[in-house]
Amino acid sequence: MTEPVPSPARVRVWDVPTRLVHWLLVLLVTFSWWSAETGRMEWHRWSGYTLLGLVIFRLYWGLAGSSTARFTRFVRGPRAILGYLKGGWTAVPGHNPLGALSVVALLALLAIQVVLGLFAVDVDGIESGPLSTYVSFEAGRAAAHWHEDIFDVLSALILLHIVAVMYYVFFRKQSLVAAMVHGRRAFPEPQPAPMQSASVVRLLLGIVLAVALTWWVARAFQV
Amino acid sequence: MPRSLFRAVGSAFVVASLVAVAYAATPRETQQARHEHYEELGKAFKAIRDQTSASSPDFTALQKNAEVVHEASVDQQQWFPKGTGPEAGKTRALPDIWAKPADFEAAQKMFSERAPKLLAAVKSKDVDAVKAAFKETGGACKNCHDTFRAPEE
Repeated sequence: MTEPVPSPARVRVWDVPTRLVHWLLVLLVTFSWWSAETGRMEWHRWSGYTLLGLVIFRLYWGLAGSSTARFTRFVRGPRAILGYLKGGWTAVPGHNPLGALSVVALLALLAIQVVLGLFAVDVDGIESGPLSTYVSFEAGRAAAHWHEDIFDVLSALILLHIVAVMYYVFFRKQSLVAAMVHGRRAFPEPQPAPMQSASVVRLLLGIVLAVALTWWVARAFQV
Repeated sequence: MPRSLFRAVGSAFVVASLVAVAYAATPRETQQARHEHYEELGKAFKAIRDQTSASSPDFTALQKNAEVVHEASVDQQQWFPKGTGPEAGKTRALPDIWAKPADFEAAQKMFSERAPKLLAAVKSKDVDAVKAAFKETGGACKNCHDTFRAPEE
């Protein structure tokens, strides 16, 4: 008989909306890239609208969502980031100060990217984002060029994000990917306080807000 | 009588100047002029699209731009004289334009057949018909671009 090794209890880290948004972003950014590369612009527009809705929801969730999704909870200054790098940081559910930078940068870049897409016009004036009707052909072309360039920056950041996560998974033995799937992570004793959920009402409010705003934008503000 | 004479002289003048321009222009100049023509066409397409998504479309603007598209669909048959491919300078026009003239002509014909339908839809002042014809005409553009235009860098 061997004594069962007590596995450390797993603490709730991410709620369902945060995880779902994360993986939908992975899916849709990939789909957007593919549809643009293969000239399927109708699908690309729909993918972009969905991404717009997800970004709006995530920003709202960063203000009104579960504790670990909130910006005020994880966005930290340079001192905290330096402190973290020097090892003076105790793990709690949520982003660490350095990872927070990645979240903010990715989300900001994605928001910029989606907005540029809304104004973009193709070289033939045939395919365009819904808000291009408010700008000149030249401005729409400029938006399209920026849309392409920003995608390269976004890709680089995504790559950095993946490399960083892999570093934590393989070298620091923290199962970050699994945590983003099932929402829980093991912590050494003493156990930190788990994530605090947000109410279903807040969730529904966020969904309605994201869908309504996206619909309004996709219709070029014409109800 | 004087009127038809006037017309004949006018047409002869137009033909002569077109010929003169075609011969006077260097291949590089022809490429640049072609580029500008297509940019005008792109602007016209955007203007049409803008109007079809507006709450109250401006049919005067629509007609003006549908006429630009229509004219371009006819004129473009003169925009690709031999020697104005990549050999003459930076262009997205692919050598197949001159290597497969029958295919290229068919692609151009698709455009010149659909553009009048767009103009007709605009004149009928039916926004849904304009949207449908816009899509059709855009399809003709895409059809040709997929085969005869190099991808954007």
